Amino acid sequence: MNASHDSQAPRAQQAKDTGTSAILCRGLGKSYRIYDKPMHRLWDLMGVLRKPAREFWALRNVYLDIPPGSTVGIIGENGAGKSTLLKLLTGITQPTEGEVAVRGRVASLLELGAGFHPEFSGRDNIRLNCRVLGMNEDEVEQRFAGIVAFSELGDFIDRPVKTYSSGMYVRLGFAVAASLEPDVLLIDEALSVGDEHFRGKCINRLNQLRESGKTIVFVSHDIGAVKSMCQWVVLLDKGEVVGQGSAESVADEYLKRAHARGNVQMSALRGTSTYPHWGSGEIELTEVEMFGHGGKATLVFQPGEPFRIRLHYKASKDCVSPVFGVGLYRADGTYVNGVNHLWREKPIQFGSVRAGETGVVELEAPRLALLQGQYYLTTFLYDHSKAAPTAIDHREHVLTFQVVDARRLQHGLLYLPYRWRVERKSAEGTAEILESES
Amino acid sequence: MRALLSSLFEHRRLVLDMVRRDLRARYVGSAMGFFWSVVFPILNLVVYMFVFSFVLETRWEDGQDPRMVALIMLTGIVVWQTFAETMSRSTNTLVENQNLIQKVVFPSEVLPVFLTLSALANMLIGAGIALLGVVYFGYVADVDAAPAASGVVRSLAIGPAILSLPVLMLLQAIFSAGLGFLFSALNLYMRDVYHLMGVALSVWMFLTPIFYPANMVQKAGLEWVLKINPMYWLIESYRRVLLYGLWPQVRIVGVFALVALLVFAIGSQFFQSQKPRFPDLL
Repeated sequence: MNASHDSQAPRAQQAKDTGTSAILCRGLGKSYRIYDKPMHRLWDLMGVLRKPAREFWALRNVYLDIPPGSTVGIIGENGAGKSTLLKLLTGITQPTEGEVAVRGRVASLLELGAGFHPEFSGRDNIRLNCRVLGMNEDEVEQRFAGIVAFSELGDFIDRPVKTYSSGMYVRLGFAVAASLEPDVLLIDEALSVGDEHFRGKCINRLNQLRESGKTIVFVSHDIGAVKSMCQWVVLLDKGEVVGQGSAESVADEYLKRAHARGNVQMSALRGTSTYPHWGSGEIELTEVEMFGHGGKATLVFQPGEPFRIRLHYKASKDCVSPVFGVGLYRADGTYVNGVNHLWREKPIQFGSVRAGETGVVELEAPRLALLQGQYYLTTFLYDHSKAAPTAIDHREHVLTFQVVDARRLQHGLLYLPYRWRVERKSAEGTAEILESES
Repeated sequence: MRALLSSLFEHRRLVLDMVRRDLRARYVGSAMGFFWSVVFPILNLVVYMFVFSFVLETRWEDGQDPRMVALIMLTGIVVWQTFAETMSRSTNTLVENQNLIQKVVFPSEVLPVFLTLSALANMLIGAGIALLGVVYFGYVADVDAAPAASGVVRSLAIGPAILSLPVLMLLQAIFSAGLGFLFSALNLYMRDVYHLMGVALSVWMFLTPIFYPANMVQKAGLEWVLKINPMYWLIESYRRVLLYGLWPQVRIVGVFALVALLVFAIGSQFFQSQKPRFPDLL
């Protein structure tokens, strides 16, 4: 709910002519001054700063022309300037250069429930929030019942907001925001919260707005989500528009950039892990590599791609029956998969290893079975000659890698190679079989 | 300043809602709510009566009744606390409400104003208790007015001068809001302003004759301290009106009004000129 509303109000200085567009940006740019010390900001204000402040352009040279009634996605990594662009469109901050013009009433779901007061009941907060969002008394009265119903809070509506769960909080926030009936709605991944049922309601509401010809701008770093909702996508990178067009064409560009970035990270990460590792140390892992499509070293993968992990080792002392293993974890710590070369139908046995030996252990999967997300790799090197395996070199979180899913063929956590088959028989008796391999 | 005033007028309902919310927040969160706002001034009254009147034996006039001394102090305290509360809350209000400023198009000039009004509304309780004290000690218990050395006999009384109370409150509001605008905006440039404000307020409080009579300062030859202290003028005016039923001195109120308007003009000008940068400074 946070939102901003009437651009007719004198304080929103953006009620310029947009022509026939809903949103028009010409050479839009926003820079922030970065000071070495906080005090310099004050000196600068008084005009006595000796060394000029550094300028940081969060956004520059943005040209956008969005026709009314379209649904537009804006994607980019963190720090690409998405939030800054939203703030400029909303009128929360003023551009440093260029122009921005938005036609009609703007509502932004930047942060649901901004300005809720914890001590007050949901009812009181609705009233106050509506006011903050710029509704007048009549509008508040008119929509009050609808907001209460939409939030589905039941008896909780009369309890203090501090007793709400985070899901309820968001529901109340969205209920207020949804009642705004804006001409232009800006959404910042606000929908990724709440339960399935409520998310469905939110999406219905969005579809309603879309059908009634409202303009929707959807901001995300998830290319898949953007693709499913938007016809036109704008790709931001380091504060500039680097691609603009249909969802498919921009998705390709996005992937290319993700690969480039992932590979830069890879060389930076190698061997410098700050995560814990332990073990007796007879054998040490010297390098961990990952390879993707076409055997290229990378840390960015697509679901279903071939996938290979390589562990390089070096033994400094003699040792018996070492076993190498690998654990895959999702960024939130969920243990996705763990394997080693001993616990298999056909185990590989090392036997004894002499000091000075080096080698490479490799494991390969024809198809990466993970869907979009951040993952990390933990490597295990254990001595299995004793009753219970003991660590020789256990390394937590050696590599972080990403799975980027531009095609969005499947949803959830795992990419499963299903085969589809449909058999149809018409009334006349003709039969048809449809099949899909992947 | 005109843009700021018209924006405040445009958002008057929002200001009122926020004042109402704030007043309720003072009382809703604690179990006994409103009760505290009444109990605190009374408790203050009793404590000051004890400490300053019996232990330290502060007197405004020779042979003055301690209950009268307590009322004089209470009036000063109530006005000062209202002012101090407005100042310290206003200074931090933009930082505290950064959610609104960064995520919503929000008329930030509303914030210092609603804090000022909320504090003044709360002051009415303290002022009411002071008036009750005047009625009780002045008419029921009939405390003797001391035969003053100065020859001017002031006795506790309520008179038509009470009508000037709204004027004093309005001027106080202009003065505090002006300072609130200035310091809330400055605090974004240097967060230490908020901490400095706490120190400055306590120094200022002890430089203002609240717990001691002004003539002690005069006797010490430091009269200039009083002459440059607008809060002294304001508190003395409140005391005349609330305690003795006298009209405030036109000259003093006039000068205070000028200072208040000047402060408001400077504060609102600065606030307005910096306002576009607020979201970037948080």
